[in-house]
Amino acid sequence: MSLSMENLGLALFNLLLVILLSPLLEGIIRKLVAIVHSRIGPPLYQPYLDLLKLLGKEEIVSSNNFFFRYSAVLGFGAILLVALLSPIAAAPPLNAGGDIIVFIYMLSFSAVMIMLSGVTSESPYGVLGAAREMMMVLTVEPVIVIALIVAAVNADSLQFGAIIAHFQNNPFPLSMVIVGIVLFISIVAQLARLPFDIVEADQEIMEGPFVEQSGPKLALFKWMFYAKELIFAAVFVSIFIPWFHSEVFIVNFLYTLVKILVMLVVVGVVHVVNPRLRIDQAVRYFAVLIFITIIGLAFALAGS
Amino acid sequence: MNPIQLFIISTLLLVLGAIVTWILGNRRELTSKLSTVFFALSSIGVLSVVFTVFSSGTAQLNAPLIEVPGIDSGLLLRIDLLSALFLGIIALVSFMVALYAVRYMNLKIFADLSLRAFFPVLMIFFASVMYVVVVVDMFFFFIFWEIMTLASYFLVIFNKRDKDTLRAGFKYFLITHIATALMFIAVIIIYLQGGSFSFDALEQAMQSMSVSNPGLLHLALLFLFLAFATKAGILPMGDWLPDAYSSAPIPASSAFAGSMTKLGVYGVIRIFVDILPVSDFSQTWGIIIALMGTISIFVGTLTALVQEETKRLLSFHVIGQMGYIFLGVGMGVYFLNVQPVLAIVALSAGVFHLINNVCYKSCLFFNAGSVVWKTGTTNFNLVGGLHRVLPMTAVIAVIASLSISGVPPLSGFSSKWLIYQSSIRAAITNPLILGFGIIALFISIVTLASFVKFTSTLFYGKYADNNTKAKRKEVPLTMMIPQIVMALLSIIFGIVPILPLKYVHKSIASLLEADFFPPMQSIYGTDSLGGLMTNYGEGVFAVWNPLLLTLVGLFCILIAYAFYRSGSAPRRADTTWYCGEEHSDEEVRYRAHSFYLPFKKMFRIRIGKYEREGVYPSIGYPKITFGNNLFKRITDIDKWFYDPLVNRFMALMKRFSATHSGVPHLYLLWLIIGTVLAVVVLFLLAGHSGHL
Repeated sequence: MSLSMENLGLALFNLLLVILLSPLLEGIIRKLVAIVHSRIGPPLYQPYLDLLKLLGKEEIVSSNNFFFRYSAVLGFGAILLVALLSPIAAAPPLNAGGDIIVFIYMLSFSAVMIMLSGVTSESPYGVLGAAREMMMVLTVEPVIVIALIVAAVNADSLQFGAIIAHFQNNPFPLSMVIVGIVLFISIVAQLARLPFDIVEADQEIMEGPFVEQSGPKLALFKWMFYAKELIFAAVFVSIFIPWFHSEVFIVNFLYTLVKILVMLVVVGVVHVVNPRLRIDQAVRYFAVLIFITIIGLAFALAGS
Repeated sequence: MNPIQLFIISTLLLVLGAIVTWILGNRRELTSKLSTVFFALSSIGVLSVVFTVFSSGTAQLNAPLIEVPGIDSGLLLRIDLLSALFLGIIALVSFMVALYAVRYMNLKIFADLSLRAFFPVLMIFFASVMYVVVVVDMFFFFIFWEIMTLASYFLVIFNKRDKDTLRAGFKYFLITHIATALMFIAVIIIYLQGGSFSFDALEQAMQSMSVSNPGLLHLALLFLFLAFATKAGILPMGDWLPDAYSSAPIPASSAFAGSMTKLGVYGVIRIFVDILPVSDFSQTWGIIIALMGTISIFVGTLTALVQEETKRLLSFHVIGQMGYIFLGVGMGVYFLNVQPVLAIVALSAGVFHLINNVCYKSCLFFNAGSVVWKTGTTNFNLVGGLHRVLPMTAVIAVIASLSISGVPPLSGFSSKWLIYQSSIRAAITNPLILGFGIIALFISIVTLASFVKFTSTLFYGKYADNNTKAKRKEVPLTMMIPQIVMALLSIIFGIVPILPLKYVHKSIASLLEADFFPPMQSIYGTDSLGGLMTNYGEGVFAVWNPLLLTLVGLFCILIAYAFYRSGSAPRRADTTWYCGEEHSDEEVRYRAHSFYLPFKKMFRIRIGKYEREGVYPSIGYPKITFGNNLFKRITDIDKWFYDPLVNRFMALMKRFSATHSGVPHLYLLWLIIGTVLAVVVLFLLAGHSGHL
């Protein structure tokens, strides 16, 4: 058990960061999209206004069952837990609570809650969206899993703390470059950004699993996506872009923040210049990516 | 009372129960209730045996109960920690199944089938299953194995009206008996070397064979492995399983999934860990076991994804989950000779997964049974929205589904986590095993997909009103309790994995010399909250602390709830929005068939003109007909034994009933004749004794 004061502070820091900072990143991406569209775009703080408004809005209950009611709460809670399991600016506060396998599965827990909110809503759009979400998870998750396993094999540990420390002090192998590029693409899909905006696909199936979600529940789901964006970006940059780190916490944090911003700008650009893929195209696309990660894994096992 | 005596008494209770329920077979309600009582008593007995053995060590008989002269074999019983572990599982499952069956077997769809073919057979089945895990003599192991197989065969063909059932039963009979024959050959091979059937002698025989005749030992091990893998449903030998499971009534399928298939794992552990000396042989066979397990994981689960019938879906998942167990056990056997630390973790992972699998798999079969109870069908496409009539079952089904898919913090995740992390650790020694682990990880997501389909089409989505039967309330209490118990166990074993793992570790460590494996604390760490921190001698490798994470997670959910209510948004109930169009219920349902079509298409096999969906090449078995359906007649005991007996008896009684003419004078006449006869008899007796 490592419930020291330092860890507790770090935990609080991670939670506040994920809850309070994540909408700002969304605001930045929106602004970026507007610039590419030659629009003025909403102010940077617009996502905060959206969330505040939704939290007070009337909630319409169209199906009376447990998972329809509370899937948003459970999903958002799970994302907060993931925030404690993931390294943002330092080793994760719950380093002694779970490793990368637990991290991946807790993330899938939030995906499960999205699916449950869809299937329990009685709307065919919801079920269709849930089935699409499941297919995305089916094809995207293996990429993320294998990429993180490559990192784990290189560092010979499944703990985030040990993996990050390993790459800060050791040369960066070829296998990590390969899976890093592939992981970046699959993160775009995990964040439901174009061209992988298939689950919600508002022009086709009207937000899919969220079609019957309203008021505070919708707010929590939106917040969950913002938080996911921040967490994924942080995990990616701290494992796959480990260079020039500093021992001073605050410097390291600001540096991480800059890395996250740069990454999200790239994600935003990809988002705005791409049309949506169909689900079958996406499935085939990721089948190729899985193959590439396996090649990366072979490199890692061969020692480079 | 010593544990062995108590064990024998408990199993004899089951045999007695079988006789009693057979005699009272026609009174359905009474039979069902009585059988529960017998199962409860025997379960209590066996469980107390289990606790005694775990606290005070192996119990055994000093002299055999029965001796077979000439071949040096005797019915020797020994309950060691491994047997006790399996006995505990079997006792729990047997009681839950019996409790569930009380109301289920009295469903109208079974009204014309005699319960004589169910409860007595079920009792004999469980009694033989229990003996299989405690005998330490290959000859009697074989006998009890055969009784178990026969009993399970009769349970499979319970629903004899159905032609498919009889065919599935025949397939099961054929495949398992080929496997049994192989086991018999293997046993004979080893017996000829050692001259005795007892397990101790087998060990010595294998020891000497591994030096003198390794080829023959490999052959014997192959046959033994095939026999156990067939029972466990490992593909391709497990081809019988989906047919047999989906033909048997649900309590029986649940009993098979909870006890019989698991005995395949027991056999593998007993032979490859306990009896086979640690050598190169364990390395070779470990890889084979793990490979077969991975094939089952892959093929079984992907095939489950395309099933459109609850019982078939669940039975393909039985194959997939047995694959996980075999993967864990196989890795363990492989590492016995290489790295004992990793060996015990992988073996424990396999057996721990077995325990979890018993919990959630029986629970899922019970859920499917509740759906049958409510709607009379097992077809996904015909039902929907059952959470309105089965609210409790729906929540339990979601819990069990998440557990089997390995969503933390439920039990399925804890054991899968152990399997994954040991396979990743094994990457340095053997990259092949890492490959197995990655397939297992990927398939675990497919499992989730399959169970999203299972729960969403059965319990959620649009309520299918065409089921007029579905007006009743939630299933009765005796069907509810087993589901609740199994779901609770899934949650508890997930949050406190150290609790079962302690016993699993103990029982596996007891199979080899005392200092072969390092002590438990040095592997899993000493966490005050019972978290697992695996350490293979070079620092902490992987961490999973479910209790801590659950507590923190609950706290996070509280924060989320605070946000949810922070705006104190009003709630309003309204109908679902269908774009404002007029619609029928039928039009707005999303059928099970439509799930994951693009993904399913990726696994389409096409060779020339031949094309099929899915990865499972189900081999059509030939229709074998014995002249004039002899086989069918032999297996139908009712027809050639019970029915004629009853008919004769009834005919005899009819003659007596002829005396009941309804004419008072005749009754008087009978009375007088009777009295006269009695007097005459009395006089004769008095005459013999001399005075009256």
